[in-house]
Amino acid sequence: MAEILLYGAASSASYALMAVGFTLVFGVARVLNLAHGAFYACGAYAMYGFCAAFGAAPAIAVLAAIAVLAAVGAIVNRFFVEPLRARPMAVLMSTLALSIVAEQTLLITFGSQSRNIPLILDGPVSLLGVRIGAQGLLLIAVAIVVIGALWLFLHKAKLGKAIYATSQDPVGAQLVGIRTSTVFAVVFAVSAAMAALSAAIVGPMQTVSPEMGLMPMIKAFSVVIVGGLGSIGGSIAAALLLGYSETIVSYLVSTEWAQIVSLVAVFVTLVVRPSGLFGK
Amino acid sequence: MQKTRIKLAIGVFAALSSSVALAQTSDKPVKIGIATAIQLDRGKDTVSAAQMAADEINAAGGLAGRKIELVVADEGKTTNEGVGAINKLISEKVDVVVGGYNSGITLAQLPHLSRAKTIYLGVGASAPAIQDMVEKNYAAYKYIFRVNPLSSIDISKSIGDFIVGKVYGERGFKKVAIVAENAKWARDMIEPAAEIAKAAGVEIVFEEYFDPATPDFAPLFSKVAKSGAQYMIPMLAATPSDLFVKQWYDMAVPVEMGGVDTGSLDADFFQRIGGKSLSETAINYITRAPLTAKTIPWWDEFVSRFGREPQFTAPGAYDAVHVYADAVKRAGSFASDAVVSALENTRHTGVRGTITFDKRHDLVAGPGLVNALWIQWQEGGRRVVIWPKDLATGPMISAPWLKKP
Repeated sequence: MAEILLYGAASSASYALMAVGFTLVFGVARVLNLAHGAFYACGAYAMYGFCAAFGAAPAIAVLAAIAVLAAVGAIVNRFFVEPLRARPMAVLMSTLALSIVAEQTLLITFGSQSRNIPLILDGPVSLLGVRIGAQGLLLIAVAIVVIGALWLFLHKAKLGKAIYATSQDPVGAQLVGIRTSTVFAVVFAVSAAMAALSAAIVGPMQTVSPEMGLMPMIKAFSVVIVGGLGSIGGSIAAALLLGYSETIVSYLVSTEWAQIVSLVAVFVTLVVRPSGLFGK
Repeated sequence: MQKTRIKLAIGVFAALSSSVALAQTSDKPVKIGIATAIQLDRGKDTVSAAQMAADEINAAGGLAGRKIELVVADEGKTTNEGVGAINKLISEKVDVVVGGYNSGITLAQLPHLSRAKTIYLGVGASAPAIQDMVEKNYAAYKYIFRVNPLSSIDISKSIGDFIVGKVYGERGFKKVAIVAENAKWARDMIEPAAEIAKAAGVEIVFEEYFDPATPDFAPLFSKVAKSGAQYMIPMLAATPSDLFVKQWYDMAVPVEMGGVDTGSLDADFFQRIGGKSLSETAINYITRAPLTAKTIPWWDEFVSRFGREPQFTAPGAYDAVHVYADAVKRAGSFASDAVVSALENTRHTGVRGTITFDKRHDLVAGPGLVNALWIQWQEGGRRVVIWPKDLATGPMISAPWLKKP
């Protein structure tokens, strides 16, 4: 059981970091950003670049990658989303095109071979009698801290409250003096930064390649559909649900069936409760 | 007397015609088509190694006086791209096609090669189904030969031999785990190997197939460790090897590992994953070892010329060009049917061993011929042959977190 507890927490943490950023954009800006997986891949390559080209320590490289992707997120919003905001389908296509361009750019720049980025915390750890990589424990801790901090920011900070107000009613927010264009830019920057953070911690445990954003994007989408589009709480609950379900199936049934869990969850959700667990 | 003169004249004419046939096109180059995925290292190395062989032949006066020229077509990662590449080479009227790295793509290409009666020397795909085509319809598919790698039937036998001879015989590991991606090739290869192992007294204590898209192997490794297995045989092709091997190392899974891992065939694999393949053993076909008198000089020349160590497709492509050239010389003709007959009688010592073909036009494995090599990553990224015994270049080591043998 301890294995399921720890491995399930690590899977859930990686899903939550990706899904919360994705759902935040939808919840506030009301657009589906299909470039979220590209943010993830670019975050991993940014970290690779800082480590390989500048010899940066992994912890410093993570922070640098987050900063770069936050800026990229704001730029994407300004040039690829903002002009098309009135047409959600156009935003969908624009961000999809952007993700393809990003993948091809990474392919041309770095080649198809996968790359290695160093772990922030190296070595195995034995906890509750379970052998787990130290980076896996770091992932769990970072997800709890970052998502907790985001929650506090949205509910306590002035800018956070502005974001929250915009998510409730963008027109009303504008009427009380909130600059919604700034809010949207901040939301995109936070979303991209969270994708980069996820990639910088998960990437060293997995592999860094140009197409690496696709699967996390599909998982994030699955989590958001199950949790309810736009609901941060729903995404956290769904990330835990899918992360633990996959681990339980892997551990008690077979690894062969684990990847089907999220697809079944999406199907059941769409049939039984199309708005998701916490959707309106 | 008159009749004798006529016969003599006919004889002289026939002899002259034969030599003119090879010589009359001496101004035209011999076109060797290369069909491979040129974005991948194994594709790049196919081209580089074929160019090495072509340059050697050209420096020695060419093939029947004609220079060899390579025509490269990118067969990409899909069957559509693969068929497109073959059709491009056929339209360029190449004399032979060398290439391949993916069995699915190669199988899709075969009917097109057959229709064009173009000789194909495969250097990267191992599915028995490719040579099944020759067996089932010789007239149509006699142009298809596999120069490299060994067929998966031979690889399966080699896995069984490794488990019995090295893992159990020398290391004394009786309990073995099998973890394979859920694919037909993997089941076809590992199931007969497991039967060989069981017959010799090895216990298969854990066996599981997984989705190649699995991002987290922690639960699987945990189950392997709990099974009591002493050695784990992975079967990886579509699974990202980097991810699998890194997680095995980062978790310090208390089970040694060696099997089929296509990622581990890459020369830069050790460096690419930060040295975490240390002690992993994978079946391979080439390393810098005295397999034949040609191996080490060829390896050094390749590294010196291209600045990288060759992938498993490289020796195949290099040997394939020489095998074709030898066959043309023996046939005295570039005509496909004549060259096929000569190829069937090939006995060529290449960089991996002696190349001969069976009735299915498949590369024959065995002592003195070409063998699968069990190569272990050791300190500094050195690749050491640990099996077969007669080709071993060093002792087997254990993972750093496990006791040494």
